[in-house]
Amino acid sequence: MDEQNHENLREFLEKFLVPTEAEQAAEDIHNGEQMLSGYPAPQPDEMLLASIKRKMADALSYEGENNFSRMFYKIVSVAAVFIFLTVISLMVFTNGGTEKLSGDLVMTAVIWESEDIAADDANLATLIAQTEEIESEMLALELGENGGNVVGSLTELELELEEINSDFWKG
Amino acid sequence: MAKNEHLAQIITGCKDGDGESFSQIVDIYSGRLYGYFYRLTGNKEVSDDLLSELFVKLVEKIKSYHGGSFENWLFRIASNLFYDYLRVKQREKKLFEYQQQQQLELEKPPFRQDDSERIDKLQVQLVKLDVDTKELIMLRFYSQLSFKEISQMRSEPIGTTLSKMHRGLNKLRKLME
Repeated sequence: MDEQNHENLREFLEKFLVPTEAEQAAEDIHNGEQMLSGYPAPQPDEMLLASIKRKMADALSYEGENNFSRMFYKIVSVAAVFIFLTVISLMVFTNGGTEKLSGDLVMTAVIWESEDIAADDANLATLIAQTEEIESEMLALELGENGGNVVGSLTELELELEEINSDFWKG
Repeated sequence: MAKNEHLAQIITGCKDGDGESFSQIVDIYSGRLYGYFYRLTGNKEVSDDLLSELFVKLVEKIKSYHGGSFENWLFRIASNLFYDYLRVKQREKKLFEYQQQQQLELEKPPFRQDDSERIDKLQVQLVKLDVDTKELIMLRFYSQLSFKEISQMRSEPIGTTLSKMHRGLNKLRKLME
């Protein structure tokens, strides 16, 4: 037993016991530990140790592979995010790409570029009104309130959307 | 100091994934850890399994060791493994039967007086201690950690640790007489 670990034993015990009791307790603990030294436990056999070392080597190579996989997936994820952001940036900041984007992104870009706030507000109000109209028409379609002519209504709706789109970009 | 530096080098090797360093750790600690498991379980096969599991865990967890006492860190894993084993056994309701059976076997009259009989005598008496006290005594004996470190590891005040140790060792000594 490491003698260093006995150094403060009595000091510790004196925090809880009177000095004579602390001395006795320290001696009891020391004697108890001495007694244990007289009964050594069996040692692991060589075959067990060899088997453990083999298992550790296996675990080590598995850890190595795992680390590689983790690193690989991390790089792939970062690359995917980078490519996605690059594509979005190109679409937003290059001419001609805006038409393919969703309404929110395009509108944001157009409003940022515009300096005529009043006209923008009017355009937005028109767009919102038209969107609401389309929403109500979609709802009517879903509820079957169009007299059964689903194909005709869809075509009509499509034409209306195209018209709104071209009107909006004309300003 | 030189011993500590040597150990620090080995641990650095382990962190770098060096198989030879892990092998050295096995050579240094397997005896003490095996003794710890054997004294707590009283079973060679279980001790074999726990020791294997511990060292495989060491490979997986070595990167989470960030300095401080390596013995403390290692024996904390050993202690957790022992309690995990105990929980599994209790769940299976086999531990009690096993200890009773083991006690009955160990209490048979000794065939002859030799070293193995002396070892068994301690094992017989250890079974009579509660698990917590037994674990504390064996942790102290095999890990060689200070009481302060042990009380921190067990998340209990040092006075409690010292009191349990004192009572446990006194009881064990009386049983051994």
